[in-house]
Amino acid sequence: MYAIEVENLTKTYAGGVEAVRGISFEVAPGEVFGLLGPNGAGKSTTVGMLTTTIVPTDGSARLHGFDVGASPIAARAISSVVFQEAVVDRALTGRQHLAVHASLWLVDPREAEARIADLAVSFDLSHLIDRAVGTYSGGERRRLEIARALVSQPRVLFLDEPTVGLDPRIRAELLDAIADLRDTGETTILLTTHYLDEAERLCDRLAIMHEGRVVALDRPNALRADLGAQIVEVRTRDDADATLGLLRQLGLAGGDAFSVGATVTIPLHDRTAASAIAGIEAAGVSVSAIGTREPTLDDVYLHLTGGRLALAA
Amino acid sequence: MAAISPELSIPLRAKRRSPFGPVATLARRRFQLSARTPRELVVPLLTPILFALVIAPALKTALHTSSSYESFVATGTIGLLIPLNTMFAGIGVLVERESGAQRELLSAPIARGLLVLANLLVAFAITALQITVLLVVARARGIHFDVTASGFAWFAAGGALFTIAMYGLAETLAARVPSTEEYVGRVPVIAIVPWFLAGSLFPIGALPVFLTWFARFLPLTHALALVRYGLLDDPSSLHGIWRMHSTTASAALSLTVVAVFALVAMRVGLRAFTKRAVG
Repeated sequence: MYAIEVENLTKTYAGGVEAVRGISFEVAPGEVFGLLGPNGAGKSTTVGMLTTTIVPTDGSARLHGFDVGASPIAARAISSVVFQEAVVDRALTGRQHLAVHASLWLVDPREAEARIADLAVSFDLSHLIDRAVGTYSGGERRRLEIARALVSQPRVLFLDEPTVGLDPRIRAELLDAIADLRDTGETTILLTTHYLDEAERLCDRLAIMHEGRVVALDRPNALRADLGAQIVEVRTRDDADATLGLLRQLGLAGGDAFSVGATVTIPLHDRTAASAIAGIEAAGVSVSAIGTREPTLDDVYLHLTGGRLALAA
Repeated sequence: MAAISPELSIPLRAKRRSPFGPVATLARRRFQLSARTPRELVVPLLTPILFALVIAPALKTALHTSSSYESFVATGTIGLLIPLNTMFAGIGVLVERESGAQRELLSAPIARGLLVLANLLVAFAITALQITVLLVVARARGIHFDVTASGFAWFAAGGALFTIAMYGLAETLAARVPSTEEYVGRVPVIAIVPWFLAGSLFPIGALPVFLTWFARFLPLTHALALVRYGLLDDPSSLHGIWRMHSTTASAALSLTVVAVFALVAMRVGLRAFTKRAVG
């Protein structure tokens, strides 16, 4: 049985805004699954539907077999969510937040006490757990929210852009904490993010979302491999889209090449970097910089989102 | 597209639970929040106490009326306290939605209506406490009450049902307005304007005829008539509404009006909350 099964999930808001357009995927128990996409791609709406705070227009989703539409309370009982924005009562203490969560998720009070003590240590909250949350820094509050989600030892944990707005040091600490959690293998994690480095570091598999659709789904290295072993990056003084068109006409760029700003990125599949560069120079392109490198997840992402937009334009 | 092979696992069973546990947890949390926000406890009490202790005696002196008028106004202030207090509780719901932990609670494995019921319990308890304070302070100021056991039952039933109804309205309003500013802007229309028309400071018969009829349709008029009958053993407000000889029948009819109002308002409030909470 999958931990998360999503089938043709669709959400159309009043006014006809199609936030999610028939997405399907499965997540195995213990897997860390990433939903990657720009703002407005439909990631948070997907999480909202999986956590039963948004009603799907069509399709279905199950958490460990519990249908989120037919058995929402059962689905919520085995899952927890860390929201994109702060969702805390500023007047309550950290301990009170954890205790309320434990009680609502039916954790035995003595067991809850022990778990709260453990989590306070794990997330470095011991020194502030009895302080009102309104006095916490952004990073401290985020750590508390993740600790709160873990009090009930959820089978499925949703992390909706958990590092947004955090400074680099706190972000790194938080990623370590999530990585530790992943390494236990006890919790299935669905992580939404638009930070490619954290997706690459944490996720076993990634679904790239664009305009409400899943446009790619695979392991990070497999997604990168689709762009070949190397890419040529050309920074041009001419119009980048026109340059891309010219290079395609000359057979120097394939369908998966794309342009963003003044840069044209050309995946190399069966051509060497030297011959590609020679061909570009011979084509008379006004080049300000040119180089080769290995493809990154950024390239995959831009190819599938920004690149597509550029092609469509 | 690659897929990781799922492990075989036994379907999990959702734990069964009684609703009392989560309601107690949620009510305790709401009370902790209220206790750390003293304005929620103190502000709604200020105006009624001012009316009961300062304005009522001043009116008695200025208008050369009897001490029964002082008692009439003092009990009338309960009709101001209940709406103000429940409306303040509604602000708590909005704050919870805008900058509090409401989304976390919505993701909890409980029926979402329990969130409303838990908040109602706390609003109810705080209102009861405030009414007690108001009555104790009024009594200490020398204002006279005439309470019998059956009278207290009419007062308690009328007051309780009216509190439930007003909290239902507060939940409905909180669910329908986008911001605290808009909510606060509408509070006077719901909590204060009816108070002036419902026989709080004078019998409704003193109003122009069309307003007397209008007042008869206000649930607050009925709640106040029950409160006066209960606390002062004064059935005149009930007779002013129903024009019947039987006080008990009049009280039962007024209680029915307030009960129906409570049922409808809470139902609408629960529905509005659930609809707003789930997109």
